This record gives sequence, structure tokens and C-alpha cells, in this order.
Amino acid sequence: MGANIYKNKKQLVFFLLPAFLFMIVYLYYPFFMNIINSFEKIGRLGTAPKGWNDPWYLNYVNMVTDKNMHTAMINTLIMMAVTIVGQVGIAIVLAILVDNIGRGARFFRTVYFFPIVISATALGLLFNLIFLYNKGMINQLMERLGATELMDWKAKGIALVTMMIPVMWQYVGFYFVILVTGLNNISEDLYEVASIDGATRWQRVRYITIPLLRNVMCTCAVLAVTGALKVFDLPWVMFPKGMPQGSTFLTGTYMYYHTIEAMNVDYGSAIAVVIVVLGIVTSKVVNAIFKEADY
Amino acid sequence: MRKKMVSVLLCTAMTASMLGAGALMVHAESVELNVVTTFAGEDSNSKNYQEGLAGWQEATGNTVNDNSATSDETFKTTVVSDFEMDAEPDVLFFFTGADANSFVEAGKVVSIEDIRAEYPDYAANIDDAKIPTSMVDGKAYAVPTNGYWEAMFVNKTVLEDCGVAMPDENYTWDQFMADCAVIKEKGYAPVAAALGNIPHYWWEYSIFNNQTDLAAHPTVPEADAADAWVNGMEDVKAMYEAGCFPENTLSATDDETFQLFTQDKAAFLLDGSWKVGGIVGACQSDPEDPSTLDTEALDRFDVTFVPSKNDVRKASDLIGGFSMGYYITAKAWEDPEKKDAAVDFVNYMTSDDMILKFAQHSASPLKEAPEADTSVMNSLQIKAIDFGAKVTSYTPAVQDNFQGECRVPTFDGMPNIVTGEVSAADAVAEGFAIYAESAE
Amino acid sequence: MKKKKKIPPGTVLIYGVLTMWAVTTIYPIVWVVLNSFKAKDKIIVDSFSLPLGDLFTTANYKMAFDRLGIFTAYRNSLIISCSVAAAVILMAGMASFGLVRYQFKLRGTLMSLVVAGMMFPVFSTIIPVYQMQSRMGITASNSLFLNLLCVILPQIAGNLSFAIVVLTGYIKSLPIELEEAAYMEGSNAFQTFFKVVVPLTKPSFATVAIFSFLWSYNDLFTQMFFLRNKKYWAITRLMQMLTSKEGTNYGLMASTVSLVVIPVILVYIFLQKYIIKGMTAGAVKG
Repeated sequence: MGANIYKNKKQLVFFLLPAFLFMIVYLYYPFFMNIINSFEKIGRLGTAPKGWNDPWYLNYVNMVTDKNMHTAMINTLIMMAVTIVGQVGIAIVLAILVDNIGRGARFFRTVYFFPIVISATALGLLFNLIFLYNKGMINQLMERLGATELMDWKAKGIALVTMMIPVMWQYVGFYFVILVTGLNNISEDLYEVASIDGATRWQRVRYITIPLLRNVMCTCAVLAVTGALKVFDLPWVMFPKGMPQGSTFLTGTYMYYHTIEAMNVDYGSAIAVVIVVLGIVTSKVVNAIFKEADY
Repeated sequence: MRKKMVSVLLCTAMTASMLGAGALMVHAESVELNVVTTFAGEDSNSKNYQEGLAGWQEATGNTVNDNSATSDETFKTTVVSDFEMDAEPDVLFFFTGADANSFVEAGKVVSIEDIRAEYPDYAANIDDAKIPTSMVDGKAYAVPTNGYWEAMFVNKTVLEDCGVAMPDENYTWDQFMADCAVIKEKGYAPVAAALGNIPHYWWEYSIFNNQTDLAAHPTVPEADAADAWVNGMEDVKAMYEAGCFPENTLSATDDETFQLFTQDKAAFLLDGSWKVGGIVGACQSDPEDPSTLDTEALDRFDVTFVPSKNDVRKASDLIGGFSMGYYITAKAWEDPEKKDAAVDFVNYMTSDDMILKFAQHSASPLKEAPEADTSVMNSLQIKAIDFGAKVTSYTPAVQDNFQGECRVPTFDGMPNIVTGEVSAADAVAEGFAIYAESAE
Repeated sequence: MKKKKKIPPGTVLIYGVLTMWAVTTIYPIVWVVLNSFKAKDKIIVDSFSLPLGDLFTTANYKMAFDRLGIFTAYRNSLIISCSVAAAVILMAGMASFGLVRYQFKLRGTLMSLVVAGMMFPVFSTIIPVYQMQSRMGITASNSLFLNLLCVILPQIAGNLSFAIVVLTGYIKSLPIELEEAAYMEGSNAFQTFFKVVVPLTKPSFATVAIFSFLWSYNDLFTQMFFLRNKKYWAITRLMQMLTSKEGTNYGLMASTVSLVVIPVILVYIFLQKYIIKGMTAGAVKG
């Protein structure tokens, strides 16, 4: 693909150097330290290590039998499925719909962006009030519809659903903006030519928009699966410490829990390593899927 | 384009550093102290602290570079890592429990004894018995300004509706459980607590209630002498099984259950003396304006003793004491320019007048505590002062010495204990195992 | 008079779906703003009614403005977040271009590294970063520039990975023919990048800039570590101070959230209008 005009490796170094230099200093080096930390004994964040774990890979062994870690992994896998289908799926539909209307397109583009702007704390509060046991919006509504008992939306069985709905809702806007931008990059001429050739609206979407949007959709899918691994703030505000009884832990919240709340920095570091490894693996899988499924 | 940007950047950098240097020059003659405290944000003493700062700066001509912030885990992390990086402040107002261990161990703060060797008047007005000591070496490092207690707040509206009498200093565990049954029968939640979020207060008192020696309570026991702990956890479980807590106690946050209490849906709330401000705030429609206080609503709240289970602890023996104070760091102490100023600053901030202001309705650490001025206080604060006078003893909380990972099995594991998924004995033993390992 | 054009049912359906989603995204903002005008004790009891009559109060805003310089904090926030956004799109744009258009052995590895960079939780990298910057001597200084720089540098790095992932996606979709044409006319790689690729993907750069701006603006944790003194606080840090301790002062929280959110929405609308292709583009297609 066009490799013949970009051969000069010196230029390549110039393009890559600033960004990677920055990342080496501020990301890779600190994360290298994090890997080392995961083999040490560290209490509170910021204190010096008290020596090495015995055996040095102890945290990784413990993780295998850690019940909360299992819950976190399973929840995160569910979250990945939900994000791909729910967030990216809804965002694609909305983006294509907005792209196909004239009046009001900018209005929708603006308001769909709103949820990302509000801080997670405020959103958490909002959803806490909506799902409040005694008596939030939903329980008030159900009472009016004739329900006699209050429903605890944060109880063990249903908590996961209560957590995922707001997270899903919040990030639809994020993928929507990325996809709409991708649509904007598609040349108008293509659509015009297609119109002249008598293509229907659906045909234009099927044969122009979707194929040309493939790379961007792939990006979204990568962001979605990796995002599920590190999502933290909104779940934490609504369900601190994986409440109830650790049943809502995600890998991101569980890592935070050990690093900050339980003052077990080395174990938190080990979870961070697992998060990063899983992130690379899943993004490779996503890329492979998109490469094969040619249109 | 590129060149222009570089030059703009350079200019900005130069001006900025010149401004910085300029700022330093102005204060070259007076001393600039770096101070970090937790008196910030909505802390009820943040205003008093700011007034104190202004007063001291005016009186001495020195300046304070104040980096105070509200105490939370991030704040504690920044304080601890500042010490690690030799970037600690000159004066620090901070916790005296396990949170301070790392910098006390490293010898980065100066003990009161050492300071008094050179400044005999240092904290001379403070009752030495009330100065908290470090877990590390038993020495006193921090000068306290105000104490705390943990006690049971009461919603009288609910109690009266249930025909339950106001608990007094002879309140027993059996009476308490009987009262809870009555209250529950009436459709209220007897005790407002979120066991899945903040089990701290019930955790502490349940253990305290099962001690055979009150003085031993603040010390983490040996793993084979932990009956009080196991029995304490069993008590919380019994309360849970009897329906003493709200229906959603395992899934609610502390804010939610606190609202049950202030909205007349729960009768009791076990919490700290700082919660007085929270209850007053809940009765005030404008957070900043005390004149919007609904005094009738506030009058419906009171504070009382915590039921006792055995003869060792009376209901009026409370958890409480002094758990924070002003540290002077070794960095300031070894700096001849700052030494005097740091000592003077702490003396100023812990003078009789200042402490009276800071202590408000909680205990004061002064040798001779003058009468508090109740004319400026609200009804709950006055009740709190009267209540404080009847307290027979204060014992420090053991949870301040039992921190981090060791707490996980019994704090975050409390829901598993009360629902029977993990036995109390196992959870306690697991915590001790982690404690023993981290103490090595 | 022109007769009203018949609206096809498909269009009605489209608008119906879009409007439904719009309601769910607009309502929370309206809810926050409405509640910011209510006293804090009323928010819980009465969070879904309008702040009229007795319910109405400006106390929450009074407090937010009274308690020290909100405008200084806005200024600091703008300096930080604009610098971050600008640096990120410049460096990430160049790197993405290199990663997409050049064929070289390490490409796969570098892409994995970029994805990995996106995954690093800030909680696990903050301490080494803090120690490093302390050693560099830029923390805890008395200069506004250095204090803000302490936040800007880690935030740039933190946003680069995301930006590269997104921008490579966009640049890959770009037809190579235009660049080949430029090459034939004798332009070198830098000229092609700045004169052909950047203008063609302007909306993508704007999007990435917006997200970088936003995350930098809302990133409290880094600010907590490096902006200690009130003089240097950015808006999120100020908001945290106002709403900390007893998370029950919902009124104050709602007002500070409004004060934090509204500037970002304005920035977004501004960029929508002037950079991202607007209504005219949509109209041609429809």
C-alpha cells in the first residue's frame, strides 16, 4: 500500500521520535517500575518497598485463587461484550442515522456529546438518585405503577446490570463522536456519484459508508475492549469496593481497590500488568477479526 | 512557524522563572514556612485555620505557603511520598496512627521531647497525657488541637413514635436489642449503617464491647488471644440477623444510610463527633448560612451512650481521644532560619484561644480547659458538650493501628461475615496473618 | 404557496430514534443545572422538580464564587488543557502518519506498545513520574509555569496512545492517491504530511484534540499530586476542594459541575461550528 513513496527511514525516525520519546519517559519507564513493584512488598502507595515477595511471583500465584479476581475477570468479559454490542453498535447506528439527515444534524452531534463532558462523580450521583432504594426515580415510578415493595437495584443479583447501563450510556457518545468524524472524512463526491447512479439510501450506506468506515470501526472496537479492562470512575462512584460483597468488581476497579483502598500496592501492580497483557491480546484479536472479515 | 513557537515558549519560560525569582526576593528577609494540614474544603475548622494563619503572618511578618487539602487517600499518599522524596513541608498537621509510621520510622519528624529540650515552653499548655504517641517508638511527635469521640446519635422523632426511651449511661446490649426489635416492628430501620461501605464504627465498638481489659483495646492482640475480636464480629452478625440494619445495608453507601437517619427513617447512628456538623448541615437549607438552620428539625436529634455488653465497659466508656496533631519535620528543625519560626507557628496554632476555637464541641487537650462559649453554638453542639461531660473514659481506636491490607477480611469482608459466607473466626484470623506478615 | 413536501416514513423513524437518544443525553445536563439552583437538602427530596418559588436559591453559586478565585483556576485549566491538546495532536499526528504509511519491521511491536500505553492505569505510574519530576527539579517550585508544566507533561504522555490509536484509524482510511500525486509533484514527506494529510483529516485532529482537552481538564488525580498550592489550582482541583468532605452537599456539587461542564460544551460547540464540517455537508448527502 503506497510503500513506494515512503521509503526514507530517516524521515520515519523524525515522525516517530517525539511521541515515543515522551511515552518512554512518562509511560514505559514508570510501567517498567510497576512491573518490578509487582514482585516487591509495598504497603501504602508512596512508601518504599520492604523487600521482595517470597517467591517473587507470589502475587501472580495468589491471583489464580483470588475469588474477587475471578469475579472481576468475568464481569470485565461481560463488559467487553456489552461495550462492543451496546456502545459501539448503538453508536454506529446513531452516527449513520445522523449522517443521513439534513436538518438538526449538528444539534444531535452536539447533544450526544454531553454525557462524556459531565464528570463521573456527577454522573454517579445522578444514577445513584435514579436507582436509589428509598426512593429514587425508578422506585417512585414503580410505586405509581402499583408495585408494593421497594426494589433494591443494587442488590447482589441485579447490581451488575445497574452498573452497566450507565457505563454503556455514557460511552455511546464517545464512539459516536469518533465515528461521525470518520464519516466526515469520507468524500462527498462518492455519495454524489452513487446518487446519480440511482443508489438508494440503504445501498449508499451498505456499499460506501460501512466499507470506508471499517478502519474507524476497528479503532472503536479496540478502544471498547481495552476500555472495558480499565473502566473505573463511574462504577467506583456507584459501587465502591465492588459492592455488594465484591460482586461488581471489574479489573479496573479491583486494581484501584488494592492500590489505594487496601494499601496493597504490589498486588495492585500485578493486576495492572494483567490488565495491560489482556489489553494487548484482545486488541490483537479484534484487529485480526477486522482484517479477515473483508467486505 | 516552528521557530516562532520555540521562541514564544522560551519567552514564556523566562518570564515565568523571573516572576518566580522575583517572588522569592520579596520574602528574602522574613521566613517562609511550608505548611500542610487537613483543614481545607468543608472541614469545620478550615475557617478557623485560615484566620489563625492570617493572624500569625501578621504578628510575625513571616509568610506561610499553605498546601492544605482535605484528608482522603490521595492526600495521605501525597504526604507520604513527599517524605520519601525529601519534599516534605516544614510543619504538618496529620494523623498519629499507622498512617504516620513510614516517616516516623525514617526519623523525618522531631519528637516533642527533643523540641522541649531546646524550647521548654513548646506545647506547655497541653496536657501531656492527651498527646498521642507513635506506634513506632511510643514517643510523642504531634501536638493535638482537638479530640474526637465516637458515640450514638439518636433520632428522637423515631424513638418517640416507637415509644422507646432515650438511652442513658446504663444502656445495656439486651435493652438495645429489645429496642431495635420494637423499632423494626414499627417499620423503621433501627440502626443506620452501610455495612458494605463503612462498617468501621460497629466494628470498633463490637470489639471494644467484648474486651476484658479496656486499656488493652488499642493494641492489636496476638492471634490466639483474639476472642474479643471474634465475639465482636459475631455480635454484628447477630444484629444483622435480627434486622437491626436497613434492608439494603450491604449494597447502600454511607451517604444513603445517613439520609435514612436524617429523614426520620432510622433511629440510631453510630458515628464520630465530626458528624455533628453533618447533621446540622442536613437541617440547613443553605450550606454556608447558619441562619437558614431549621432549629426545630435539629432539636429532634441528640447524642447518647453506646450500649455495653459486659461489666468491664460501661455505656459511658467511649472510643475517642486525640489522633491528629502538628508535627515539625526534621527538615525545618535542621534549618536554622526556619527552626524558630516553625516552633513559634505551632505554639501559636495551639495556644489556649486557638484550641478553644478548634475543639468546638469535642474534647480539648488543654491542661486547664476553660468553659466553651455556648452562646455561639447550636442545640446539637450544646447537647454534645453536655454529653461529653458525662463520658467516663476515652480509649483510642484499634483500627488506627490495624491498617491497610489487614483490615480487608473484616472491614470489606463484613458482608461476608454477617451473611455467613465466611466465619467470623476465619476472617479475624486472616486479618491477623496479614498483620503479622506486614509487621516483620 | 409551495405545498408542504411529504415526509417519508423512514425519515420520521430516523428522527424518532435520534430524538429519543437525545432526550437521555440532554436530561442529565438539565437536571444538574436545575438542581444547582436548589438548596442541598431539597435535592434529595425533590430532585426532579423545577427550582421555582421557595425552591430557588443561588446560594450554591455564591459559595462557589466566594471561595477563592474561580477565574484563576479557569485560566490555569485552559493553559494546561490547551497545551496538552496541541502537543498531543502534533506528536500523535506525526507518529500515526509514520506508523501507517511506512513499512518497517518494528511496526507491529510499536503498535502493540501504543495499545499497551493506553492501558497503563495512572495509579500505577504516578509514583515513578512524581519521583522523576522531583529529580528534574520542576515540582514544588514557586513558578506558575513550572507547576503547570508538572501536570502538562504526564498528561501529554497519557493522551498520546489514545490519540495515535484513533488517528491511525483515520489515516488508514485516507486514499493514498492524493499523497502519490503530491509526491509526483516533488513534495517531500513532511510537506505531504502537513499540506495533504493534515488538511484532509482536520475533523479527526479536532476530535482527538477535544478528547485530549477533555481528559486533561477532568483529570483530578494528576492535579492532586502536582498542584498543591491554591495559586496554581486548576478548575477540577478547585471543584474537588469545594465538594470534598461529606459528599452530601449535593447543591454545591451541582453548581460546581455546571461551572466545570459549561465551558467544555461551549468549546465543543465552537469547534463543531468552525472546524468540523457542519450542516451544509449533511444537507448535500440527505
